[in-house]
Amino acid sequence: MKPYWLAVCPQDAHHAGRDGGASRYAPLPASPLASALGGAISSDAGTEFSGAAPWADPMAALAWWSLQFTPWVAQVQQALVLEISASERLFGGRMALVQALLQPDHAPLPMQYAHGDSALLALARLACDALQQVGELAQPPLPPDALPLHTLASAQAHLPTLERLGCTTWGELRALPRGGVARRFGAPLLAALDQAYGAAPETYTWLRLPEVFDAPLELAAQVESAAALLFGARRLLAQLQLWLRARQHGVLVLELRWQLDARRANAHHRDTWHQGDGYGRLHLRTAEPTQDPRHLERLLAEHLAQVTLPAPVLYLRLRTLETCALRGQSLSLLPDELRSGDSLHHLLERVAARLGPESVRTVYLQDEHRPECMQTWQALGAQASAMVSTGVGQPSSAAAQTGMALGARAIAQASTMASQSLYPTWLLPQVRSLPCDADGLPQWDGPLALLAGPQRLELQAWDTGPQVQRDYYIAHSAGQGLLWVYRERLGAALGQGAAWYLHGLFA
Amino acid sequence: MSALPAPSPDLPDRTAPGLLRADVWRADALAAPRAQTLSSGDAALDAQLPGGGWPVGALTELLQAPGVHNEWRLLLPALARSGAGPVVLVAPPYMPFAPALQAQGLQAQRLLWLGAPDGQGTAALWLSEQALRCAAVDAVLAWLPQARAEQLRRLQWAAAEHHKLLFVLRPSAAQAQASPAVLRLLLDLDDGAALAVHILKRRGPPLTGPLHLAARPAALLRVLASAKPAWSAGKSDPSLHVAPTQTTSAHIAVLQPRRAAS
Repeated sequence: MKPYWLAVCPQDAHHAGRDGGASRYAPLPASPLASALGGAISSDAGTEFSGAAPWADPMAALAWWSLQFTPWVAQVQQALVLEISASERLFGGRMALVQALLQPDHAPLPMQYAHGDSALLALARLACDALQQVGELAQPPLPPDALPLHTLASAQAHLPTLERLGCTTWGELRALPRGGVARRFGAPLLAALDQAYGAAPETYTWLRLPEVFDAPLELAAQVESAAALLFGARRLLAQLQLWLRARQHGVLVLELRWQLDARRANAHHRDTWHQGDGYGRLHLRTAEPTQDPRHLERLLAEHLAQVTLPAPVLYLRLRTLETCALRGQSLSLLPDELRSGDSLHHLLERVAARLGPESVRTVYLQDEHRPECMQTWQALGAQASAMVSTGVGQPSSAAAQTGMALGARAIAQASTMASQSLYPTWLLPQVRSLPCDADGLPQWDGPLALLAGPQRLELQAWDTGPQVQRDYYIAHSAGQGLLWVYRERLGAALGQGAAWYLHGLFA
Repeated sequence: MSALPAPSPDLPDRTAPGLLRADVWRADALAAPRAQTLSSGDAALDAQLPGGGWPVGALTELLQAPGVHNEWRLLLPALARSGAGPVVLVAPPYMPFAPALQAQGLQAQRLLWLGAPDGQGTAALWLSEQALRCAAVDAVLAWLPQARAEQLRRLQWAAAEHHKLLFVLRPSAAQAQASPAVLRLLLDLDDGAALAVHILKRRGPPLTGPLHLAARPAALLRVLASAKPAWSAGKSDPSLHVAPTQTTSAHIAVLQPRRAAS
């Protein structure tokens, strides 16, 4: 198949101008898609990118993004060349591919493109386009013979000589005898000319996605407060999202590193984030691989809110420590089942980042006799994230997870359930000692009437822990309703007077 | 003979308030909200709630005297049937006893406890709002003793936007304050077994008297019923009932109803 090349460069790159003359001209307006193949045109990818670029490295962003159209992407000078002939069928034709590439608000930054049968031809047209006037945009692309010689990189060194010879276009150079050109200007110029006309194959170092995302960023100004680091980190996160999308990975662990100004005395400060080596480090972890920069940004904001910078910061670096392939997500066909809102692990991680891991707890049941040991409220950790990933929304798998081993011991459980419905719904985290009246009866907000009991709980502990002998009663208080109280039987037997404790509430 | 067919006895009674068309409202009837409701599990209570149950996607406020807790007995049947996603508890006053809740139908692994470490009021509000915004969450129970009306309004918006069951539990002193809740209930102790529910605000005519609900697990009710004579008899010495046991290892005695004082 005959190769077909696109040359792409960010719009502001040619305004800065590698050939100096471009800055004389006004910025090129957007062209309609209908004339996409009519000539070298520019596409304006929306106004949101018109201000400061949101990318830490715009060229890499454009290259990673364009890898979705073809695997053959190379960077030549300040532009990218894409060989698209192999992927035309996948996109439904050359026209459809170019349209997908130029779709408004799709590209990471506004860009300009040109095409041709060879990469050098496309690059030359791109360079010419920078010099074209607005009115000339709709013209058909320049034929190769008419292209000015300065657009050929290999001819740059010989431009004055060639000009004195009367050679200003590719066609005129090609018309010269090959032997003389090779002797006068060297073989590379002839080879480049052959490549430009498609007579010789072109080779480039094709871009490959790095295995690990590791991007530095120099901040525009020194940053004194940790929260302000977020503005720089946001650009790095946007870049990270492009990398993750291209790799189809989700991030699990991220490291944000910042370099403290070494001239300050307390650059070697030590705390949780600073090890005294002049750098600060922050690790972001997510329970589920994610590509969502908004979630990462919110997490980062919560973490950065707790950091105090000992010295100003000028350099940031974002690195992925752990990523994994992202599974596809199946969506429901029915609109009713789509629920608005963010996912559960986003919620849990945001809460844990802001208020600490102790602020998120899930319960685990154990087969135990002591009520306080029947359940454990555990902080968010490995098991809590397991709960999220296996999905509480699926009753079958959720039921299989409990310590009660539902189903396997259905009969045993039926009896357990019956007795467990006699347990109170609130349990006091610490049992509360109750005062007694003269008869040895407990008092709590007035005298307590013992309704039912005793329920004897006796544990001759052969493992660790004290011996437990309790008589539980359901008591009624006039002001507080039904209470669950117990009496230490050991104390009563020793004649020390019964000690009463409040352990739960029937809410 | 009239040409009109006689009304079939199977047709529902058109005068019953719950069966009115949704777009026709009789002034003496409860307004039928368009919103979805979830049955509270108690027929007497459902009859008095607009739509026949707890409103989904709206704020329901439960007021109780300080130290008194009756929330679980009122909410558990609805929470047990609310779905399979997490039931978020924001800053609960004590530890919920998951085995008891599971025995009454609320799976323990659905419980998610969120709380600020130092019990700040603003953190609890933030947590409630975040929980409401989460797609997987089915219901949110928030204990917000300090919340102001505008903060509650924000929660009400979040619940409506994301279509969640939201219950806010507040002290009974708050009943004089204005509230954006669509349903406000005051829970009062009746006696040990029954619960008196005053409906302070609902979409419909006001309810003058309190509702009396049993709302206890059947096993507990049986135990309480058998203990009733002793209870009314008043004081007794529990030491009489400490039976000698020959338990060797871990053992739980069967809960036996307390005998009348001999």
